[in-house]
Amino acid sequence: MKPGLRVGHDLVLDGGAGAGPDGPPAGYGLGMPVLEISDLIGAWDPVTGERAPIVKREVIARLREAGHRRAVRIVERMPASGELLEPAAVDRLFVRVHTELQRLGEELHMARRFAELLAPLVAAARRAGASPLRIVDVGCGIGYVTRALAASGELGGDVELVGVDFNPVLVAEAARLAKDEGLTCRFVRGDAFDLTEPATLYISSGILHHFPAESLAGFFQAQDRPGTAGFVHYDIAATRLAPLGARVFHRARMREPLGRHDGVASAKRAHGDPVLLDAASQTTGMRVFLFEPIRHTNPFCASMRPVVGIRPELVEDVRRALGRRARGLVGADGVREGAGGVREAAGRVREAAGRVRDGADGGPEGAGR
Amino acid sequence: MTWLPAPAVTVPVLLAGLAVVDGAFAGFRAATGRNARIRKRDYALAAARRGAAVSVPGLAVTAVVSLTGAAGEGHRYRDLVEAGTRMLAVLAPFAAVVILSLVAYWLLPLRESTFMILVGLGPLTLARPAVVAAAVAAAGLGSRDWLIWAAAVTAAVGVLLVEPWVHRRWYREPL
Repeated sequence: MKPGLRVGHDLVLDGGAGAGPDGPPAGYGLGMPVLEISDLIGAWDPVTGERAPIVKREVIARLREAGHRRAVRIVERMPASGELLEPAAVDRLFVRVHTELQRLGEELHMARRFAELLAPLVAAARRAGASPLRIVDVGCGIGYVTRALAASGELGGDVELVGVDFNPVLVAEAARLAKDEGLTCRFVRGDAFDLTEPATLYISSGILHHFPAESLAGFFQAQDRPGTAGFVHYDIAATRLAPLGARVFHRARMREPLGRHDGVASAKRAHGDPVLLDAASQTTGMRVFLFEPIRHTNPFCASMRPVVGIRPELVEDVRRALGRRARGLVGADGVREGAGGVREAAGRVREAAGRVRDGADGGPEGAGR
Repeated sequence: MTWLPAPAVTVPVLLAGLAVVDGAFAGFRAATGRNARIRKRDYALAAARRGAAVSVPGLAVTAVVSLTGAAGEGHRYRDLVEAGTRMLAVLAPFAAVVILSLVAYWLLPLRESTFMILVGLGPLTLARPAVVAAAVAAAGLGSRDWLIWAAAVTAAVGVLLVEPWVHRRWYREPL
């Protein structure tokens, strides 16, 4: 699930950028924090992968404080050994929820959506002489997108597909599933930006909303490194209808109460187009776009939309390969036009990102992972 | 001259057909979110077959209730057929919308297909129990005959139990 973000100083929670004991919650940064249960019930040492004990009553207290009564009831029902949440039960829950999440990804054609953008990006990188071609899926969970891309073979046999997540249980499940189907991809537990081999392209699905707005710039900047041609990060489009749509969709498609709760919370936490674009735009070595952002498409269809970063010298090549669909690539100016309140949000992000760069918020390590 | 079967035949046959097809979809839904493999066509087809098969006992019980209750009383069977027709009036439009949404999901381009999930198939799944309940209410409309209510409720319970039963029996945990 999600990236397994580095939030405190020595632990990663399962995706919870804002859920750590030291960090502010993600979300809109206004009013009550929006918490996801999955962010609170699993934590691992980023280096050793060792699980940290989670005290059940502390999780309940945080959720109660945030006013999430339903989430409190869900956690109250979770098995515990003494004061601590039962690790085996939490692991099984993670796998169940992620397996259900994959179903949502399948229905929303997430693998095809990635392939649509990755094929031209890979082709451009290949023509530019990038070798080896490696796609790293940040916070891959059980690796649906990575495995689906491997199964389709759409990107070519010379592309290495690697899924990375901090959660060892999800990584093991991803590896098991890939082996079971004989797919040529691999999965690694750890930090996607600490891999020894460079990535040609970074991708992710549904992790951006786990970062507080002020940490987004650091996340994108961590991908501006030698050998990297670009990135494609899909996340929930922050429309007014998104929380309602998420409620209906998760109710209809997911059985796990935790999945239903966190699905709606994710939609509430989703960052708006200007916030994402402004944060990504601070990655100086990339040109960044949103692909078919909310203003440019039917709001009902914009359930997920990606932030795309491309090395400047590859942009025209990618545009040509996309053909008519290249019109969907919208840069900073395109999104800002006419969007209310954008300047203020953008300024806030820039200011926060500046603090991160200066080390006031824990430095780039805290922001970028 | 074209021969058309009498409503006494077509109505129960159509209702039974709808129940079996609905059972197949219920079986499919019962199995979703439990297999994270990429290639799982056979898995989905097996689940649909299980759902269709599990819908049959419910139909059989409904048939036994109806035929036993109406045995030797032709007017009661006619009343049952009329009740079935009212059920069909509720169920058939819903089934048509579902099938249209599915066809649109399969045939439309990527984004429009997603649109069908968000505004069509997702909400329709949630609406299904309410539609079945409405069909029961329509069947019993203006009738005080216990047989009509018993047959309609038995059929509805049978239909609504398929998904949870298949899920519990075969798909409780991820594979």
